[in-house]
Amino acid sequence: MGLVQREIEKKGIPTISISIVRKFTEEIRPSRAVFLKWPLGHPLGEPFNIRQQAIVLKKALEALADIKEPGAIRDLPFRWRRYEDLEK
Amino acid sequence: MGRLKNRLIAKLFTKFPFLVERWVEKAAPWKVEGIPWAPVTKPVKDCKIAIVTTAGVHLKNQKPFDMHDPHGDPNYREIPKDTPKEELMITHDYYDHKDADKDINIVFPIDRLKELKETGEIKDIAEINFGIMGHIDGGHIYTLINETAPEIAEKLRQQGVDAVLLTPG
Repeated sequence: MGLVQREIEKKGIPTISISIVRKFTEEIRPSRAVFLKWPLGHPLGEPFNIRQQAIVLKKALEALADIKEPGAIRDLPFRWRRYEDLEK
Repeated sequence: MGRLKNRLIAKLFTKFPFLVERWVEKAAPWKVEGIPWAPVTKPVKDCKIAIVTTAGVHLKNQKPFDMHDPHGDPNYREIPKDTPKEELMITHDYYDHKDADKDINIVFPIDRLKELKETGEIKDIAEINFGIMGHIDGGHIYTLINETAPEIAEKLRQQGVDAVLLTPG
């Protein structure tokens, strides 16, 4: 994801990504990212949890506007519930 | 056989997060130089936003991402913003997309973006958004960087996109 992000940014379009593997984002160094320690396949959260998805999206767009330092990764303060909870 | 194995690993990753950490630790680092930077020149509420997702999202009538090539499929699929949900699908064996199959918004938040347009928090959404797959390896990485990404960027530019949200699988 980060490699594509870098190329889009190089063409002059600002970008923000939602990262769920911090190490990859630290290595690839895209311009701006928010990070969530959440399971693979769930960057916006849980299915049909509209409120949660909306919050993550708004926080990502806030970071797009606020981040002034290239390569910044903003940790979002949302904890994932235990995976078992998803099955309910 | 290969696809079954990959899908099984993807399911184990979801069930046992420490396996993801082990996989991440073992992944060979990719060296980059510098950090590209395009400044945001207007408020987000005045921006036309596009989604580029690496979660393997595509239309059912498009060719699925190639799951038989161990280096992945470095090509992109165009996703019109008003595509009905039942015409979208995910082809990606390297993460467990059981939940995203139920609600695509967790990897491709198109409905949430539409709500932000309704409330005036963004100006518009790109007519065409882009689906690619993560897990690209070998020579395909160069195809991704040198061909796929610049083509996507050009199509974003032609649509007058002001900023891009990238989401992984």
